[in-house]
Amino acid sequence: MYRNKRSGLLGIIITIIVLVFIVIFSNREANTPFFENVANKLVMPVQNGLTYLKNKLSGNSTFFTDISNLRTENQDLKERNSQLEQLLRELENIRTENETLKEYLGLTEKYGEYKTIPGYVINKDISNYSKTIVINVGKKDGIKENMTVIADEGLVGHVISVTDNTAKVRTIIDTSSSISCLMNTNKDSIVCKGTLESNTELKAMYISTDANLVQGDSVDTSGLGGIYPKGIHVGNVKKIITTQNKTDRYAMIETAVDFNKLNTVLVVKNN
Amino acid sequence: MRKAFINLALILIGFLIYFLQANLFNWFTIAGVKPNLFVIYTLFIGLFGSKSMGIIYGSVFGIIIDLLFRDKIGTNLIGLALIGILSIIFDKNFSKDSRITIMFMVFGTTMVFEIVSYFMNYILNSINIEILEFVKILILEVIYNILITIIIYPLIQKFGYYIENEYKGNKILTRYF
Repeated sequence: MYRNKRSGLLGIIITIIVLVFIVIFSNREANTPFFENVANKLVMPVQNGLTYLKNKLSGNSTFFTDISNLRTENQDLKERNSQLEQLLRELENIRTENETLKEYLGLTEKYGEYKTIPGYVINKDISNYSKTIVINVGKKDGIKENMTVIADEGLVGHVISVTDNTAKVRTIIDTSSSISCLMNTNKDSIVCKGTLESNTELKAMYISTDANLVQGDSVDTSGLGGIYPKGIHVGNVKKIITTQNKTDRYAMIETAVDFNKLNTVLVVKNN
Repeated sequence: MRKAFINLALILIGFLIYFLQANLFNWFTIAGVKPNLFVIYTLFIGLFGSKSMGIIYGSVFGIIIDLLFRDKIGTNLIGLALIGILSIIFDKNFSKDSRITIMFMVFGTTMVFEIVSYFMNYILNSINIEILEFVKILILEVIYNILITIIIYPLIQKFGYYIENEYKGNKILTRYF
């Protein structure tokens, strides 16, 4: 009995030691990509098929409701189109004016030169505490670690690791994500962090005591931190929470991207 | 031959659980909270299989999940391997016939897994600690896991005893005394 207990304890200790070694060994830079590729090759063919099916099904379910709405939508779109055409003409004028001004100032159009690679979201994290996504473009498509990922509406996150055909993206709503941002109106700097609580909100912290917060103000990336380029739209200030101590006050930022419906993304190629 | 069949079935079930978790349970949630089927999976393998089976299966699927979703390995690996160890202790001390006991086991293992993986996540990724939100999600997840266990328990029990007979044979005493 005593021997049995001792050998049981020994087994548990050996298991823990082996686990610690596995963690240390597998986290070494050189080893991880190989194992990641193996895991991806095991799972991704089926996952790709399932995602394709899911997209097809969700597309079909809305098909019939869409038909009934098409007429009104068409009318709205026509109106919108004429408005947009007018805006476009105005924009053309502004652009030419802007270009001339930039030439005068000697600025280069830095962010216009960014090239993007389109990708689909094929997998979302199965855990409740982590909000990473997997996209269907990888090393073969030119994706590298720390590249910025955006969607039509704004910032999505950045690439944390890449395999041959897939890339893992840490979204801005993940609890380990924090982005340096600027408020649009008064250029006050804030840090936006992901929360466990919500998939649509970020917590804006480290707001300087003399900063003026405006509800509804647009929040963009500041370009500090080395991952995200400057000027990418993050979201809008939803509410400001004031505390007794002014240094502790924070704001909730509503993300521009709807992460529950996120399907297509663009990976910004680093210059 | 039978053991090979059992292991093949368990591996296939593991992947089936992965696809269920990644697709179905990503939208079939309770207030946005998903269950964790891998906790139930590892617990049952540990309870009904041989001593090391729970730890091995837990570790293998833990590594796969970490490789697929995380940038560092450890969070799921350590959590699921720990459940493998816990299930050995549970198997020695408790009966598997009572649903209440099983519910408590699922309650305990889900709590341990999530607390350990949250702590590991804190160490590896330096996340912001949000205790209240964490507890809220944890409670919902435990309830969801227990509900699923209640629903699928008869099925698991049948397959579990089949595995137990194969691996433990005449060493099973708890069922007769």
